[in-house]
Amino acid sequence: MAAMIGLAVTLILFPLAGWSLGRRSIGEAFLFGAGLTGSVLFLAGVVHVPLVIALALIGAWSVGCGVWELRRRRRGMPSDHPLPTPYSPLPTILTCIPFIALTFAAAITPLNDFDGRAFWVLKAKEIARERAIDGPSFKAVTLDPRKNHYPILIPLDGAVILGIAHDFDDRQLRWFYLGVLAALALLVRERIGRLVSPSAGAWCAALLVWIPQFSVEAEGGALSAYNDLAIAAFAAGAFFELAEEVAKSAAPKRRDFGAIRFGLWLAFLILTKSEGLPFAIVFLAVGAFVFRKRITSSAIVAGIAAVALFVWRTRIPPGDEEDIIRLLPTIPQKLHNVRAALAAFPRHMLLMPHWGLFWIAVIIAAVLALRNDRRNATLAISVIAAMLAVYVLVYVATAWVVSDLIAVTADRLLMHVIAPSLFLLAMAARRFRSLNPESVD
Amino acid sequence: MSGRRLTRIAAALLFVSLAASTLPRLIALVNDARTLLPLPYEARRERQMGPWYVSIEKLRRDLRPNEPVALITSRRDIDSAVFANYYLFPIHTRLYLGRNAYRNAAPDPARPAVLVAVNPSHAERTEYDILRDRDLAAGRRIVAAPELSTPMTTFVLPLAASLDGPPPGTFVIEATLVNPNPVPAEVRMTFWPKGLTRTIVIPARTTKTYYDLVYQLYGIMNAGWMRVESSQPLRAAFYFANRGRGDATLMPNAAADATRIAPALLHRDTKLFVINPKDSRATAILNGESIPLDPHAFISRPIETLPAVSGNVYAFVTTRELNGRTDFLWPQ
Repeated sequence: MAAMIGLAVTLILFPLAGWSLGRRSIGEAFLFGAGLTGSVLFLAGVVHVPLVIALALIGAWSVGCGVWELRRRRRGMPSDHPLPTPYSPLPTILTCIPFIALTFAAAITPLNDFDGRAFWVLKAKEIARERAIDGPSFKAVTLDPRKNHYPILIPLDGAVILGIAHDFDDRQLRWFYLGVLAALALLVRERIGRLVSPSAGAWCAALLVWIPQFSVEAEGGALSAYNDLAIAAFAAGAFFELAEEVAKSAAPKRRDFGAIRFGLWLAFLILTKSEGLPFAIVFLAVGAFVFRKRITSSAIVAGIAAVALFVWRTRIPPGDEEDIIRLLPTIPQKLHNVRAALAAFPRHMLLMPHWGLFWIAVIIAAVLALRNDRRNATLAISVIAAMLAVYVLVYVATAWVVSDLIAVTADRLLMHVIAPSLFLLAMAARRFRSLNPESVD
Repeated sequence: MSGRRLTRIAAALLFVSLAASTLPRLIALVNDARTLLPLPYEARRERQMGPWYVSIEKLRRDLRPNEPVALITSRRDIDSAVFANYYLFPIHTRLYLGRNAYRNAAPDPARPAVLVAVNPSHAERTEYDILRDRDLAAGRRIVAAPELSTPMTTFVLPLAASLDGPPPGTFVIEATLVNPNPVPAEVRMTFWPKGLTRTIVIPARTTKTYYDLVYQLYGIMNAGWMRVESSQPLRAAFYFANRGRGDATLMPNAAADATRIAPALLHRDTKLFVINPKDSRATAILNGESIPLDPHAFISRPIETLPAVSGNVYAFVTTRELNGRTDFLWPQ
C-alpha cells in the first residue's frame, strides 16, 4: 500500500500537467506533463526559486487547467477529434498483456538495475531531500562515479513523487517508469493511428511493448529506472510533431503551436540525458525543412533549456562523465575505433533476444516506405540515420574501451529512434496493403 | 499472394520473433514476483541481493543518519560501494578506492570519520587499522630470507612500531622467531613504554613469523621499544620495514647501554631516539643537558645535527633520504 501514493501522483499529476497546455491524448499528456514538470522545476532551480514553491504552483496550475481542459474536451470531443478506433481488438489485447505482467512485477519486485540505482533514482532522492538541484550532494567534490553533470529532468519528476509521498523508497518510482512505456505506447498508437491508419497505430503500439529491450530488459527496460525510455518517448513526441506538420502541409494552413510543442519536446530531450542535446540539434536541423521559418520558435524554446543546462553545470563540479566535445579533436588518433563503432549498431540490431526481427523489418520497411511516401520516409530515415551517426561518432571519440561501451549502450541507444522506426513500419504496411486493390480499409 | 496477406504474414513473423524472447521473460518476471509476494518489501530485497543487503540493513540500523560515512572499497568492487551508497541513503557517503585513498585524504576536513568496508559479499563498519591489517596480511612481507641471530633468550628491540608515515609510508616490524630446540619455547614480549605484554608459545623446531609484530600482538598502531624474553634460546630477526616503499632494515639487539653514534650524513626528518630499557630511572645527557628518563622510557626529538649523547641509555638516530627510505644510525 505504501507505493500507492507514488502510483496516484504518477497517474494524476503528470497527465493533468500535460493537459494544462491544451488537449491531447492521455499518453501524450503523461509524457508532456512529465517533461513540463521536470523542465519547469529545473528552470526554477536554476534561477533559485525554491522547488517546493515551484512545485506548488505547478500542482495548482496543473490541477486547475488540466481539469478545466478535460471538462472542455469532454464537451467538445465528439465532433472535434474522434478517437481513432482500430479494426481488430487483437492488437489492443496484445498490448495489454505485457502491461498486466509488468504492472504485477513492478508492484512487487524491488528495483534491481544498475544506472537507475547508481545515478538516476539516487539523484531523485537527493533532490527530494535537499529541495534543490545544486545542493550539497551535487556540490560535493568526490570520487564517486555519480555523473554529476547528467541532466536531471527525470530525477526531478522522481523527486516530485518522493517528495509528495514523503518516502525516499524507490518503490514509489516504479510506476513512473512503467508509465513512460505505457504513455509511449499510447502516443505511438494515437499518432500513427492518425498519420497512417488506426490499425497501424494499434499494431505498432503492440509491437513496441513486445520488444524485449523495452519491456523486459533488466537494463533499460520498463522495470528499470534508466532514462533511455524517457528519451525514446520525448523523441517520439518531437518526431510525431514533425510528421504531423508534414501531413498538415498538404492540408489548408491553420495557425497552431506545432513549432512551440516541437521545441518543448526538444527541451525535454535536452534536460533528460546527455544524448538529448545532439538529438535536439538533429531534430532542429531536420525540422528546419519542415517548419521553415517557424523553426525559430522551436530553437528558442530548446535554446532556453540548453542554456539553463549549461548554467547549472557551471555551478556544480563535474563527475566522471566523458566530455565528448573535448574528445572530438582526438578522433584522428582513434581511427582504430571506427570499425567497431560502425559495426556496433548493425550487430546489436541483429541481437534476437533484444530486438527479434524488428530492425530487419525496419530496414525493409524503409525501402518500401521510400517508394510509398518519399517525404515522410525521408523524414524518419534522416532522423534515425543522423542520430545513429552521432552515436557512432561518440563511439569513435570515447576514452572508454569502445567494445565495452558498445556492449552496454548500443541497445539502449537504439531505443531512442523507436518512433521513426515504427512509423516506417506503419508506412510500409500501408504500401504493402495498397499493392492489393481489394484491400481497402 | 495479396498485399494484405503479405502484410499479415510479415507482421505475424515480426511479432512472433519479439514474443519468442519477451514472453518467457515476462512469465519469469511474474513467477519471480509471485514468489516474492508473501514477503515484506525489505525481505524481497534480501531475497534479490542476498547477505550483502542484510549487511546493509544492519548498517542502516547501526549508523547515525546525520553522520557521514566513508565507503572503502577496491576498484574491482566499486559497484558494490555505489549500491551501498544508494541503500544507505539518506546517510551521506564518500567513496574511497582503497585504504590508501582514505589515508591520502587526511588533510580534507570533510573526510568522514566513520568507515564502512564494502565488497560484493557484505558491507561492514570497520576501523582504519583493521583495514590496514587486512591489506598487510593480504600482501607479502618485504624480507623473504631474514638474517637470523645466534640463539638468545633475551632481545631488546630499540624500535617497535606499527605506524603510517606520509603516503605511501607504512611502517611495520617484520619478525621471525625460530625455536631450534626440541622443547616448546614460551616467549614473553613486552611493548614499552605502554607496558603491554603478550606471551606466545613456539612449538619445538618451528618458526613463528609476523608481518606487523606490534599490531598482531597488541592490536594497536603505536611506536615504542620491545623486550623479548624466551624460556628457550631463539634465533630471531626483526626488521623495521616500510611496506609502502618496500624497504627494510635489520634491527640490532639493544640489550646493553650504547650512545656513541658515528657521524654520518643526515637527510630530512632526522630524529634522535633514546630508550631506557632498564627497570630503574636513567639519565641521558644530550649536548651537556641532562634528561631524566623513567624506567622503560622511549623519547624522540627532531634534530638538525648529530648531538653528543651519553648516559646509561640506548640512543639511535633515524633520517629519511630524499627517496623516502629511512636510514638508521645505530650506536657503536
